[in-house]
Amino acid sequence: MRGFLGQYGLIVVLLVLPVVYGIQDLQQDGDLSRLGNNLMDGLSNGAIWALVALGYTLVYGIIELINFAHGDVFMIGSFVAFGFYGTIGLSTATGTVGLLGGLAVTLLVAMLACASLNVMIERVAYRPLRNAPKLAPLITAVGFSFILQNVGLLWLGGSQRGVPDLIESQKELVNLGGVSISQGDALALAVTAPLVLLLTGFVATSRIGKAMRATAQDPEAARLMGINVDTTISLTFLLGGLLAGAAGLIYALYQTTIWFFQGFQAGLIAFTAAVMGGIGNLRGAVLGGLIIGCIQQISDNRIGAEWTPAIVFGYLVLIMVFRPQGLLGEETREAG
Amino acid sequence: MSDSGDRTGADGAILRAAGVSKAFGGLVAVDDVTFSIPPRSIVSIIGPNGAGKTTFFNMLTGLYKPTRGQVVFDGKDITGRRPDIITSLGVARTFQNIRLFETMSAIENVLVGQHSRMKATIFGSILRTPRVRREEREVRERARETLAYAGLSEPALEEMAANLSYGDQRRVEIARALASDPTLLLLDEPTAGMNPQESARLTAFMEQLRDERGITILLIEHDMRVVMGVSERITVLDHGEKIAEGPPEDVRKEPRVVEAYLGKQD
Amino acid sequence: MSAIDPLRDRRETLAGLARSRQASRAFTGLVIFGAIVLPFFYPSGSGFIDDSTTALAYVVMALGLNIVVGFAGLLDLGYVAFFAIGAFTTGWFASAFYADANGGAGIHLFVTGPAAELPGIHMNFLLVLVAAVVLTAVAGALIGLPTLRLRGDYIAIVTLAFGEIVGRVAINGDEIKLAQDYPLTRGRQGITPVDKIDLPFVDQFTSLNLRPWYWTALGLALLTLFVNFRLRDSRLGRAWIAVREDEVAAASMGVPLVRTKLLAYATGAAFGGMSGAFLGSYLNTVNADQFEFSFSIFILAMIILGGLGSIWGVVVGAIALSFINNRLIPDVFNTWPAKVGLDFDLTELSFGIFGFLLVIMMVLRPAGLLPERRRRLELAEGVGAGEEDLYEARA
Repeated sequence: MRGFLGQYGLIVVLLVLPVVYGIQDLQQDGDLSRLGNNLMDGLSNGAIWALVALGYTLVYGIIELINFAHGDVFMIGSFVAFGFYGTIGLSTATGTVGLLGGLAVTLLVAMLACASLNVMIERVAYRPLRNAPKLAPLITAVGFSFILQNVGLLWLGGSQRGVPDLIESQKELVNLGGVSISQGDALALAVTAPLVLLLTGFVATSRIGKAMRATAQDPEAARLMGINVDTTISLTFLLGGLLAGAAGLIYALYQTTIWFFQGFQAGLIAFTAAVMGGIGNLRGAVLGGLIIGCIQQISDNRIGAEWTPAIVFGYLVLIMVFRPQGLLGEETREAG
Repeated sequence: MSDSGDRTGADGAILRAAGVSKAFGGLVAVDDVTFSIPPRSIVSIIGPNGAGKTTFFNMLTGLYKPTRGQVVFDGKDITGRRPDIITSLGVARTFQNIRLFETMSAIENVLVGQHSRMKATIFGSILRTPRVRREEREVRERARETLAYAGLSEPALEEMAANLSYGDQRRVEIARALASDPTLLLLDEPTAGMNPQESARLTAFMEQLRDERGITILLIEHDMRVVMGVSERITVLDHGEKIAEGPPEDVRKEPRVVEAYLGKQD
Repeated sequence: MSAIDPLRDRRETLAGLARSRQASRAFTGLVIFGAIVLPFFYPSGSGFIDDSTTALAYVVMALGLNIVVGFAGLLDLGYVAFFAIGAFTTGWFASAFYADANGGAGIHLFVTGPAAELPGIHMNFLLVLVAAVVLTAVAGALIGLPTLRLRGDYIAIVTLAFGEIVGRVAINGDEIKLAQDYPLTRGRQGITPVDKIDLPFVDQFTSLNLRPWYWTALGLALLTLFVNFRLRDSRLGRAWIAVREDEVAAASMGVPLVRTKLLAYATGAAFGGMSGAFLGSYLNTVNADQFEFSFSIFILAMIILGGLGSIWGVVVGAIALSFINNRLIPDVFNTWPAKVGLDFDLTELSFGIFGFLLVIMMVLRPAGLLPERRRRLELAEGVGAGEEDLYEARA
């Protein structure tokens, strides 16, 4: 009974919000454009969460640890991106070619910064505690989360900080049947999609990817087969960091505000997404991210942004109760 | 090999498993096993590695829910019930890899074993009512006795389980299982890692349990000497199926059994 | 980490225990006596008594969380929820918040003093405590319910999520109306003023004389200690530790997992509620800014610093961190930079420093200051560290 409830119950619960408001829209406006816009914004936001969620799911898949500091690494990514393109002089006045070029470089910088940060955190906070009870690395992760937040606090102060709207993220690029697709939306999807494809392809086909999957399945066996488990784990963190950096840049350009606390919130949201999709499952993380993004937008728009976190966390609890393996995950294997 | 699955155990079987199967996704670990245990006996389950013995055990004790089939203990249907309830009904077990509570002392381990036989509630414990105090004294006394009965020496009683020798840990595990006052005791490879003298001592102990305390024992074992020596009846599993059952002399000669262990003799 | 010296543990056998038990009883008596007379050495409104009172309230919370995390091994990262519920119980039932109750005349239950005349719901503090304990115990069980089949780190996330949900409800509670003019909370503005504690046979407390507050907090702390010690050495306490070590083995030995875990959550929560109810009155306000995630970590850090599962260790950890937070950081950190010639407010770094301490603590001495002997073993050798079981434990 629980299995049945779990499988379809989750999908039903996820559909409740869009369906309810879709019907309401049809009654009030006569078309679904408002819902469509919610979903469009949701997908763009969701793309950002997908990138961060991938980082969580990669790390969890390989060492069964929630990298609590990951959300704050993402925040640092935004900060680094902002700092960098400010330094190289990008502004709203820069021409398109210069802008794109500058942003491409910024993307690389942000990605590399976050990758190094993530690898460093693994080295310092997690590796020494690999044999300790799970509480220990969780605490160090929280510790690092606080440290990074303090860094953000000192860097740009305690309140939300507006950043230049370099790509005119709100400007409508195209309109499909009442649904407005802005330049920000396009950016989010245009950067995320290739990154996701690259990542999944890399993990599926490359030797390192195979090593990652082997280590995730059985670290001891992987070690016996000659895989350097430590390096593989570091590489996993590196990949997660790269994605977080990219997410950070997109976030800064899309939202045009950043602040030190965004990582904590993003972290929980992205983790919810990872769990919703099935922790350890890459496609699931992306799917979860997009779904959560949509839920958020609908909630922001219809119920009120102050309630959205509670709603997202409510979903997290529901998933954990009824389907902890998420949408695409498998039932926990009972070994024998 | 099929039984009618008599619920009341009219033939006197203390435990009856009828058509029990367990599948993990596509993998069938136990396939339609029917099995009963006569009371006050010592029976064994043997089979090559991966035959499904521990999985079968786990279904009897409630750790796994059978995909199909029924398990009846002492006339009660325990199929898929919670492990702690099954224990309180009178089934106790030890584990293949010792699973003691390592940071608790030997005595404390056995005290936990008595959990289902104790009545102290949270409020009673906070207030330390006379009843609770008496119960604590009694269970401690019983724990000492059980540990001594299992062969543990005095100084080891308060020792943290992690610091005990392997043999002593095995003894504590058995004492802990006995603490719940079971009528059926399931031992999962109890002589693993023991030398012949220790195995012989354990065998004698099992017979003592059966004769002195009327406990029925179900054994998973790999040590053939022990199995042949102590079992009244042996059941052989291979690839999840029951391939033979009977007294030791018969089973040892069964061609299917020989084949399962040694491979096809052609 | 050094290997465990078997002789060291052997010392804990019978003879040694008897002797040390007497000695520790005497020592405990001395400490408690000292704690009782402490306020007489300071002026009745002094900052030291203020900090001590807060520290004692945190001791209660830390001991409560210790039951959940230290004894039962359930990673609860949302303990702030129980602080909130306890504090709101005080806010609802011991203030003028619901000024329309009883048609403006107010509801008064066993209150004396000025509050007896005011509109709103006013209950005697003991009644408030009881209500807080009941509400938080129920909340604890409800929050624990979804976590029963989950693994350690998932429990952390779910409890964290609940903590956030409660925090959000606290912030937005001014929009939630239980009935006309009966909002759930007053959001960030807070419910204030809150009645001073009103106990039978004693004059109502004031904000000038801190000594009665201190003794109340001390009383709560001693009560909590008492309950903790009783439970630790009881059937339930052993069941908790067994569940923490290896829940599959525990279940196989007859320990009912669901009931045992829920009792841990409920009991731990009840102490959080008790302390929260006290703090609601002591701080004279119940507002949403008090209930953030960092508070959960603050309490968790206390029990880690002191030694997870070790009752006295947790007391020490709670007092230490409380004083560091309330005294050391503001007083010392504010003066140091000036002495070194820097124009810098070190309190801005307090978050980061706290995080840094967490990292250092776990990497260097995860067993804590006064480790419970078990925990030393666990963290030194990875022994019994919540056996990662292959079976999905059937709750």
